[in-house]
Amino acid sequence: MANISGLYTALSGMQAHRRVLDTTAHNLANQATPGFHRQRVELRAAGLGVTAGVFAGTDNALLGVTTPGVQRLLDQYAEQRATREYAAQAGTQTLQTNLDRIESTFREPSDDGLAAQLDAFWAGWSDVSTHPDDLGARTQLLERAQGVIDALRGASTDLDAVEQSARVEVDAIAADINDLAAQIADLNSSIVATGGTANDLLDRRDLLVNQLAELSGAVARPSALGAVDVLIGGRAIVTGTTSQTVDTSGGVVTWTIDGAAVNAGPSRLQALNQTIGDIVPKYRAALDGVAATLVTEVNTLHSGGYDLSGATGRDFFDPAGLSAATIGLSGDVAGQPAQIAAGAPVLPGPTPPGPLDGELAREIAAIADRATGPDSEYRSLVSTLGAQVSDATRRNSVQAQVALNAATAADSVGGVSVDEEMANLIAAQRAYEASARVLTTVDEMLGVLMRTGVVGR
Amino acid sequence: MRVTNAMVLRSTLLDLNQSLSRLRASQADLSTGRVIRKMSDDPTRATDAVVIRGDLRRAEQRSRTAADAESRLRLTDSALVSGLDLLTRAKELTVRASNGGVSDPAGRAAIATEMSAIRDEMLSIANTTYLDRPIFNGTAAGAAYDSSSGAYLGNGAAVIREVAAGTTIAANITGEQVFGTQAGPTGDMFAVLERLSTAIAAGDLTSIAAEHVNLDDATGRLSAATAEIGSRAARLDGIRVRASASEADLRERLSTIEDTDLAEGLLGVQANENAYTAALQAASRVMPVSLLDFLR
Repeated sequence: MANISGLYTALSGMQAHRRVLDTTAHNLANQATPGFHRQRVELRAAGLGVTAGVFAGTDNALLGVTTPGVQRLLDQYAEQRATREYAAQAGTQTLQTNLDRIESTFREPSDDGLAAQLDAFWAGWSDVSTHPDDLGARTQLLERAQGVIDALRGASTDLDAVEQSARVEVDAIAADINDLAAQIADLNSSIVATGGTANDLLDRRDLLVNQLAELSGAVARPSALGAVDVLIGGRAIVTGTTSQTVDTSGGVVTWTIDGAAVNAGPSRLQALNQTIGDIVPKYRAALDGVAATLVTEVNTLHSGGYDLSGATGRDFFDPAGLSAATIGLSGDVAGQPAQIAAGAPVLPGPTPPGPLDGELAREIAAIADRATGPDSEYRSLVSTLGAQVSDATRRNSVQAQVALNAATAADSVGGVSVDEEMANLIAAQRAYEASARVLTTVDEMLGVLMRTGVVGR
Repeated sequence: MRVTNAMVLRSTLLDLNQSLSRLRASQADLSTGRVIRKMSDDPTRATDAVVIRGDLRRAEQRSRTAADAESRLRLTDSALVSGLDLLTRAKELTVRASNGGVSDPAGRAAIATEMSAIRDEMLSIANTTYLDRPIFNGTAAGAAYDSSSGAYLGNGAAVIREVAAGTTIAANITGEQVFGTQAGPTGDMFAVLERLSTAIAAGDLTSIAAEHVNLDDATGRLSAATAEIGSRAARLDGIRVRASASEADLRERLSTIEDTDLAEGLLGVQANENAYTAALQAASRVMPVSLLDFLR
């Protein structure tokens, strides 16, 4: 009896270590698979349970080894932290990219940005002031004014483009969120069906949760039977085996059920919302402010001045175009350089100004030096932008390091180490060999027994 | 801590990436010659650079304006000096005529003719133009003086030029300041010269003596104007010297802020290149190694 059971004990060892070898092979094969966590076969000695009973022997409790299951090794806390930090990094990265695009719109400091265009415009006024009767100088002034207008409009268009592409990206993200949520719900039902033990399905689900987190800052919360609930901004998008959907129109993501806005955590969606709702409007308002100040200050002086023929009360810029997108020359001066007012209304002293007076042009040129003129507004715009971009860049590089550290911490528990797998491989191989050796020995012993029987007959 | 291959790979990649981007940044410092290429490179210093660039462009514009003012003043000065020469000659003629040395009508007529020619020449000096614009007519359009009647057509306005930040200078002097006003009891210089010519032709010694006094007044006015223009030109000269010094100063400050220190840039590239090469070598040594290499 004991001999025969020894045969099965050895067999259980060989089977168990075959499984260890298989799992090692699985780990090695998946060492580069995204989201994979190493797996380990649980080994348990099977001889502990002694059955109480009349015919129960005392020595038949040694039943070898059993493998109750294969475990996924991971540190849940470190995994969640890595998910959160990578989601935050996706956000800082998106923010930096968008701010970089806005910064490249304003090419400063340089000799061809808006600051240079404005200075050329003021220099144009100064030239008209020097040669009020020179139509060439006046025409050049109109060209330079057009240069400023083009630069302002171009910057405004660029801001629109940044906002537009952010909105398109948000729409794409909303579609991805719905898709991922549905897949997670599906995987939840598959996992519940297997009793929560399908390691590779769990890995796949965790990977999808990570992707969802990068898009929307979602967090997963374990629920019954191995399923997870996924929440975005405290509201569940996946509950067990069912998922909610989100809608999007023009860059705003809302819950399909009640139309409430989706409150994303640190993630790409949050960064895009910030771009659309905060950053672009802020710089557009500043740019519009520059345009409005320019139009108002130039027009205020210009309408009080006299042109070459002695006419007065004309606007230089179109008084209705008070934003960067709508700024333009007034119909009075566009294409009519002689109608630019360069002469001052009243000169110091009793003498009225002659038509060749350039005092008003000189006053307009002096707007450049005002402490609160369009130039200083523009300088404060680009300097604010520079500080914000520099800050976003620094945050992103810090966050990249934080995310890497979090991933390293998670990896140090869940990642596949080739060295370790090789050691496990050797251990399992030796254990298999040893069990096989036991099998042979038992077989030989049984052979001896059989021969003894023949001889003794 | 347990170290896995994926960890090594991931952190090696990030490190290599950062090392390479530092190398690229220091290479860009050198190849563009500028350490501040966009606002976010160093917001504070970049803002200074934007301000200084603006100041520089305005300084260049003011220097152009100042050059224009200087040409005007110089032309005005030379016109006034020729005017003074003419008056000296007129005075010689007056003295000769008033001494009674010229008693014959033909001689007096010759002097009177020359006096009249001086008046015409003075009138053409008064109509001197700079870039087709008369210099003595204030801000009025057209000629300063009617070339036959000698009537003043200009106005009394100053032609103001901003030659330095907050500093303006009048780049003209009006005809009435130089040649006197026609409204006064003795009229302007042209009227005096004309009356002299008539008096000399008639041999009217009393009138000649009276006009001699007026001629002296006119000469005094013209010398005063010359002196004023001269002192303005000197002032402008000083302003331009200071402006070009401060422009050079601005350029130097801009360069200190924006430009790459060549030695520093080269060292930076060298240091970052060494770091990158070392990182690559370390990665090439560490990454391929595993227990597999040592198992049979």
